[in-house]
Amino acid sequence: MSGDLGDARAGFGEAVRSEWTKFRTVRSTVGVTVALGAALPLLAAVVAATGSLQPDDTILGASLLGGAVLAQLTAAALGALVVTGEFRTGMIRTTLTACPRPLVVLAAKATVVAGVVAAVTAPSAVAAFGIGRVLLDGDGYATGDPFPALAGVVLAITAIGVLGVGVGSMVRHSAGAIAAVVGVVLVPGLVAPLLGDVERWVGGASLNGVLQKMTQSSDATPEAVGSLGAWLSLAVVAAYTLVTVGGAVWLLRSRDS
Amino acid sequence: MIDVQGLTKRYGRTPAVDDLSFTVRPGRVTGFLGPNGSGKSTTMRVILGLDRPSSGTATVNGRPYRSLRAPLREVGALLDATALHGGRRAADHLLALAHSNRLPERRVGEVLDLVGLSDVAQRRAGAFSLGMRQRLGIGAALLGDPSVLLFDEPVNGLDTEGIRWIRDLLRRLAAEGRTVFLSSHLMSEMELTADHLVVIGRGRLIADTTVTEFIDTHTRPVTVVRSPRGADLLAGLEAAGAVVAPDPGGGWRVTGMSAATIGDLAHHHAVPLHALHPLRSTLEEVYTRLTTTSVEYRALPPTDAAPTEAVAR
Repeated sequence: MSGDLGDARAGFGEAVRSEWTKFRTVRSTVGVTVALGAALPLLAAVVAATGSLQPDDTILGASLLGGAVLAQLTAAALGALVVTGEFRTGMIRTTLTACPRPLVVLAAKATVVAGVVAAVTAPSAVAAFGIGRVLLDGDGYATGDPFPALAGVVLAITAIGVLGVGVGSMVRHSAGAIAAVVGVVLVPGLVAPLLGDVERWVGGASLNGVLQKMTQSSDATPEAVGSLGAWLSLAVVAAYTLVTVGGAVWLLRSRDS
Repeated sequence: MIDVQGLTKRYGRTPAVDDLSFTVRPGRVTGFLGPNGSGKSTTMRVILGLDRPSSGTATVNGRPYRSLRAPLREVGALLDATALHGGRRAADHLLALAHSNRLPERRVGEVLDLVGLSDVAQRRAGAFSLGMRQRLGIGAALLGDPSVLLFDEPVNGLDTEGIRWIRDLLRRLAAEGRTVFLSSHLMSEMELTADHLVVIGRGRLIADTTVTEFIDTHTRPVTVVRSPRGADLLAGLEAAGAVVAPDPGGGWRVTGMSAATIGDLAHHHAVPLHALHPLRSTLEEVYTRLTTTSVEYRALPPTDAAPTEAVAR
């Protein structure tokens, strides 16, 4: 009835291709991606134009920190949306019927989200730094070392997108998932200062702590974010992202869809 | 071929499917009948690897669904026509599925033609009527040209023309040698579409047989008779042990006696017959009789306020 249908095996590559097709054919994911790209340059322009930085801040930190929080939240929402949108509509059952391996499905979703977030955030982080340099040049601020710090910022935001996929798959509801990831992103910064000596541990393992260290911000004191290096802190973030996704795979395997 | 052996699925402590075993063979349409809540959808979800069985097995072409590497090429399924992202265009929905199983993109256009949705391929599925979504779901099921097809209530939301279309499609797919497994609560539809029946109630197997045999086995012969000497005929029939009741169309309905015996009896008593018409029970009647004990939710008379048994989902 349909002629030759070609090779009969499909694996991770096909799952990624399918997830990418799904990603680019729905308005919500495309819209959030645009917002993600705009976050860093927009906030860099606002911070520089309003002069909202401390005298000992670096241009790098001023250009990226405000936008990075926004970008993290947007990336988290994007990651969650890719999964919860399917649970909301029931599409997940169609997806799991086409690819009955939850690990492959979630890994493919995480790959697409990571790829999109990194591809969008990298140029927008460079643009944000460029905007900061143009607007703040000659105002007496230290520039800061942009490389490899910018790559670290991009990786941290990418990790949060993947975390969104994992949390979205566990929570299954958009609002709940986004609230949970917002909590992970923002709560350490709110609570850590109340914890005395423990602050450095909480702050050091928090996403914002990673970004502060990466951008050599004046906020990144050992008291606030501990003495772990920026890249080690990033590794901690990557580790709990992977644990979250692993938990999501385990849940998807054991729960009925 | 679909093979279900000793399948039990519990939600909490309530068994939705209880030690169910049956085989769905290729080359014919097998109907899956049961009242709402009897476990049809649960059984189909377990076959497709979406729900995990509490015990027992379900295999497709001899393998558990979750072990299939490109399942759309072996099994096509329509469980819930609304289970798609309403913001995605119909063609894109099918394209994503085609990519997932490394199917050529030309299949998208082919199945859209097949289900008659080519004109609306670029419209978002959220704007589709239920009937159009059913067609899209059927298109998705046929995307990989699979040898096994499962449809859960596929005629839901279809108009008369659509129902005839799907009936012909299912029969054609079975005639091509495919395994076609179709659930429905519309008995009349099953009678026209299915060759074989798997009947369940409360998650248990009630019958696994051909449609004809199912009706023949469970039919009590009923014959409509008319006679200008009705009273004499009635007396003769009742004396011979038949149960006679007035027929709404005039004449009498005779149960417990074959048409041939009734004719002989009339001859013996020299009573003229104006009608001797055996009635074949419809599948609906047989089915209703068989499953009345299995209906989970039955309307109770107000005096009998005993709580009905709750069932998960």
